[in-house]
Amino acid sequence: MLFTLGSGSVLYAQEDDLLALLGEEEETIEYANASFKTNRVINLHSLESTSAGVLDIKISHRFGTLNRGAYELFGLDNASIRIGGDYGITDQLTVGLGRSSYQKTFDGFVKYKFLRQSKGKKVMPVTAAFLATTAIQSMKWQNPDRENYFSSRMYYTFQLILGRKFSENFSLQVSPTVVHRNLVKTSAEAHDVYAVAAAGRIKLTKRVALNAEYTYVLPDQLLPGFRNALSVGFDIETGGHVFQLHFTNSTSMIEPGLVTQTVETWGNGGIHFGFNVSRVFTVVRPKIQ
Amino acid sequence: MNFTCIIALIVLTFGQLPDAKLYEVDKGSVYFRSDAPLELIEASSTELKGLINAEERTFAFSVPMSSFEGFNSPLQRVHFNENYMESKQYPNATFSGKIIENIDFTKDGLYTVRAKGRLNVHGVKRERIIRSELQVEEGQIEVRADFTVLLAEHDISIPKIVHQKIAEEIAVEIRAVFLPKMP
Repeated sequence: MLFTLGSGSVLYAQEDDLLALLGEEEETIEYANASFKTNRVINLHSLESTSAGVLDIKISHRFGTLNRGAYELFGLDNASIRIGGDYGITDQLTVGLGRSSYQKTFDGFVKYKFLRQSKGKKVMPVTAAFLATTAIQSMKWQNPDRENYFSSRMYYTFQLILGRKFSENFSLQVSPTVVHRNLVKTSAEAHDVYAVAAAGRIKLTKRVALNAEYTYVLPDQLLPGFRNALSVGFDIETGGHVFQLHFTNSTSMIEPGLVTQTVETWGNGGIHFGFNVSRVFTVVRPKIQ
Repeated sequence: MNFTCIIALIVLTFGQLPDAKLYEVDKGSVYFRSDAPLELIEASSTELKGLINAEERTFAFSVPMSSFEGFNSPLQRVHFNENYMESKQYPNATFSGKIIENIDFTKDGLYTVRAKGRLNVHGVKRERIIRSELQVEEGQIEVRADFTVLLAEHDISIPKIVHQKIAEEIAVEIRAVFLPKMP
């Protein structure tokens, strides 16, 4: 009995030596991936891109505010919607289009990831992406008699997204942002609005994560009554779908509205329940060797 | 020619000679296939590493889980690493052990052997005997092995919602060419 045990461990010792020999290999570059479940945190863009050859169809709803009370079923009687699609041209370059019912706005974006967090042979502490968006509001002119310019409908956003996956369970990103509005109502409002957004996620289980994001607009740019947007929600991932359920005080789901048009506050229950549903379709299938 | 020169020559000559008993994977691949009622998933890796000790008839294989490519979508690959294999925690799948049959690696021929060892997938080690074909030809060994892995045996759980899309038994194919290991 003792003999058998002894010879067994000797055998495994030899194999483990062989396994250890295999371990002596050159270092490789290890990229961080899946910092966020999808390329949006809630309303903000996350540092993730859509993979090359993948079409991500997104349908998002924001209901009315909770403080409307039982008569409007806490906001569920009203809904604002955005339908959009993002496509990965390469693993680094994503483009997207969308249409929001809020102010009948069309939007388009280009996002380029120019740094990827990695360790091993190449060490890069952060992931960095640049986002440029254009939004065109298509509401009927308030005053059709005066001379109106199409350019008055345009909004531009430029955003730098810097983020890091600190651990398997925790990711954080910071996004300096500028929103340019071609037309503002009064001269007291800035055409260029500067803001800093921060977002984070905590992975609770393999398929559920808790997300939060906050957009801080630098002072003296907007009229009194405009607020900073705060959103908190869960990501639930099931195969090809990601369901994002959240609470937010922003009605708009795109940058210009999020930064410059948020009027509700969390303090008095001006909170929208909402969800984003993301479904990915593989347009170009990956090859197998 | 002085004494040091001769020594240097001897060291150089013998230093370059391959280690007679150790063989190393020159080209190796692992392919797997999950054939479920609703979905067929295939992926492969060409980063298989392996060693055979011809004298002791021991062997070791290792493949990094994150090196598998293919799948039906990039997202599926992310889920494979994130949710099923947990590749950050368990980066490699390994199989190491001993060849049961006493075969002579110096003689050319086709041998069918049983490789007995421990298969480590997802950090769970299982004793396995895997039938393999070894083709020995002019000092190189070609290995072919086809076997299956039961996900449940390696604590890889499949959520109910994707039961119809992921097979419980995964077919694996190993192909490797071994050459004498250079020291």
